[in-house]
Amino acid sequence: MNKAFYCTAAELAGRGLTDLPEELVSNKHLIYSSPATLDFNSPGAKGFGVKRAGLCIPGAVMLLVAPGCCGRNTALLNELGYNDKFFYLLLDDTDIVTGRYLKKIPQACQELREPLDYEPSAIMICCTCVDALLGTDMERVCRSSAEASGVPCVPAYMYALTREKRLPPMGLVRRSIYSLLEKQERVRSECNLLGYFTALEDGCELYELLYQAGIKTVREIGRCTDFAEYKAMSRANFSIVLNAEARAAAQDMHERLGIPFIELTRLYRLDKIRNQYRLLGQAIGAKFDDSLWYDSAARAIAEFRESFGDVHFAVGECMNADSFELALALTEYGFHVSEIYGTIGERNFVYLKKLAARSPETRIYSNLSPTMLGYERDCRIDVCIGSDAAYYHRDLPGIPFSEEEQPFGYRGVELIFRRLAQAIREHSEVKV
Amino acid sequence: MKKLLKALSPFAPDDSGACSVLYELGGIVVICDAGGCAGNVCGFDEPRWHEKRSALFSAGLRDMDAILGRDERLVKKLAKVCTQVPEAAFTAVIGTPVPAVIATDFHALERMAEKQTGLPCIALNTDGTKYYDKGAEKAYCALFRRFAREKLPVKPGKVGILGATPLDTGFTHARDIVRAMNCTEAVCFGLDSSLDEIRRVTECEKLYVIAPSGLKAAQELHEHFGIPYETGFPCLPPEVVAQAKEIRGSKTLIIHQQIAANALREQMEDRNADCATWFLFSPDLAREQDFRITGEDMLLETIRDRGYEVIIADNAFRRLLRGWEGTFIPFAHHAVSAELRTDTCAP
Repeated sequence: MNKAFYCTAAELAGRGLTDLPEELVSNKHLIYSSPATLDFNSPGAKGFGVKRAGLCIPGAVMLLVAPGCCGRNTALLNELGYNDKFFYLLLDDTDIVTGRYLKKIPQACQELREPLDYEPSAIMICCTCVDALLGTDMERVCRSSAEASGVPCVPAYMYALTREKRLPPMGLVRRSIYSLLEKQERVRSECNLLGYFTALEDGCELYELLYQAGIKTVREIGRCTDFAEYKAMSRANFSIVLNAEARAAAQDMHERLGIPFIELTRLYRLDKIRNQYRLLGQAIGAKFDDSLWYDSAARAIAEFRESFGDVHFAVGECMNADSFELALALTEYGFHVSEIYGTIGERNFVYLKKLAARSPETRIYSNLSPTMLGYERDCRIDVCIGSDAAYYHRDLPGIPFSEEEQPFGYRGVELIFRRLAQAIREHSEVKV
Repeated sequence: MKKLLKALSPFAPDDSGACSVLYELGGIVVICDAGGCAGNVCGFDEPRWHEKRSALFSAGLRDMDAILGRDERLVKKLAKVCTQVPEAAFTAVIGTPVPAVIATDFHALERMAEKQTGLPCIALNTDGTKYYDKGAEKAYCALFRRFAREKLPVKPGKVGILGATPLDTGFTHARDIVRAMNCTEAVCFGLDSSLDEIRRVTECEKLYVIAPSGLKAAQELHEHFGIPYETGFPCLPPEVVAQAKEIRGSKTLIIHQQIAANALREQMEDRNADCATWFLFSPDLAREQDFRITGEDMLLETIRDRGYEVIIADNAFRRLLRGWEGTFIPFAHHAVSAELRTDTCAP
């Protein structure tokens, strides 16, 4: 087995985005579905894939129309309490050849209501690569299914084949889950947060800042407890998009419901966070006083540095941050980043270039490269961030930082350093 | 509706079964998919993924690869991996729904891969619509046809075990399966054994088939090399056996893979139970009242019509049996619930 392939940040910055080595470009090699990164190839296994995301609409159930293999790992979601929400219409090879299953979907939608002791708010009809290739008109299928079942039906496109398209499955499903909202009168003091399927961490300053600006109600899909609350999202005066994958959904809401949107990025560099809030304030006509949260985050960083000194990090990508932006932040705070396991794209190459200037020797690996089968540590790493990094270095302290409650802004920075400090202390206690 | 699952989740598919057989044989295995099928195998159906390394990859197909049928790109990527895993003994390509829809020519893929890599290649036309045992059956047959070419002197006492995948047994180590067997040397093909054991199958004095997935290969080996075979399941959970032995005069149904279900019935005092399976069903191994399950509704109707009082099956079936008033005895089946065994086999 050959050694795992990597390039230094300086090498990559020198080559540029258009000349990345094949090993770091996922569509140019076979994909290693490493235990470190199972959520890339098996989004149903943890976190939010199309299936779980589609069920964010309160009261919705899902009908997966696919060969058995596509629904196999859905059983994992049963542990999270989803077992009464999934139904499967299994396809055989004759179905695939003849397309006869399309006529059975309305009947299946009707039948799946039998075991339910409530009326579902919606039936999400999840289709897979088979329908992507057959070119199925899912909108039409949904219309006839809604007629037959008396329940709104919405397509959820689990098209893994289109993962690298302009509108990938996770973008499409975000658009789908807001598609049941209907136009109503907007309320000036209400806004939506779009982007995540779960809510922001309760202590996030964004809520307080919005209240400072006169917003009285902030709605997120992850906090909607019933369908009525979900439907109230169309009253918002504006939406804030916290994850670029929700851009298509926000655009759709703008066109259909007249709700404009502003995009923010999850960042871990304090000055950039401050700047972003300043721009948000300008956009909504408010002036934020964020010093309390800025100072608290800065204090968490200083205390960490004081306690643990010159820490060398390994930064993964299976976590609630962009690997390269977080690595850049860590180097700016005076720490070292020895290795990054991440995927370079247009969006984060700008961070990589800045990182190369500060830390040219940082090694960049691709989790998906087949050579990662032979990965072995051969440089100094003290602490890991991300569940993938923690997998490679099981003997080191680390934090997954992939919890469902979403970190954002100054609060995200504070959380990461507080959790890191706790992990290092607990690890050294265990060692003793 | 026959193919609508309202209570159960889908069982392990044929591509998982094929991977399960090939997993430890030292080859480079490529699942010909967009990513999700490989994720299902690695993240769910293959418990060894977290304990034993294997060169198992996804082809990472994209829509244009499928639309344009760019097999040469797949073969090029495979050839590249062969340089990165130089110790690989063979390559394998496992089918999924994507190649099934575009009618990929697996024989051509096999030949192209062999030409490019210089390694023997096995391409299996699994399609994700069938159950795991069908894929495992294809893998066993392809392996023995390809690599077991030579008739070697028989080693007295050596037993070759077919069907010993975690999907069938719930175990990830051969020692847990052979512990209860009384033989001098036992090899579980594909579990704690290498490709070399496949090549040397003709050394076996006897083949022991513990799951229907191994039957066809055993029959072929018997025809070509005269190796005798028998069926049986050496790793029944003692807890289940003990509970089954207690059953007296109750109408009982055992649901599992056919050979395991039969073996449990043999352990019962009155041997009076019906066996049913969702998977491969051989009439030669069945009694008159045994049956193949074709859907949730069919199973529920049969249970009602025949008035079963005891059901021995995987825990996953409890949900389907809500409302049925009888005694349920859990009998784990990894291909159904992905539950692993932590107990020791009954002798």
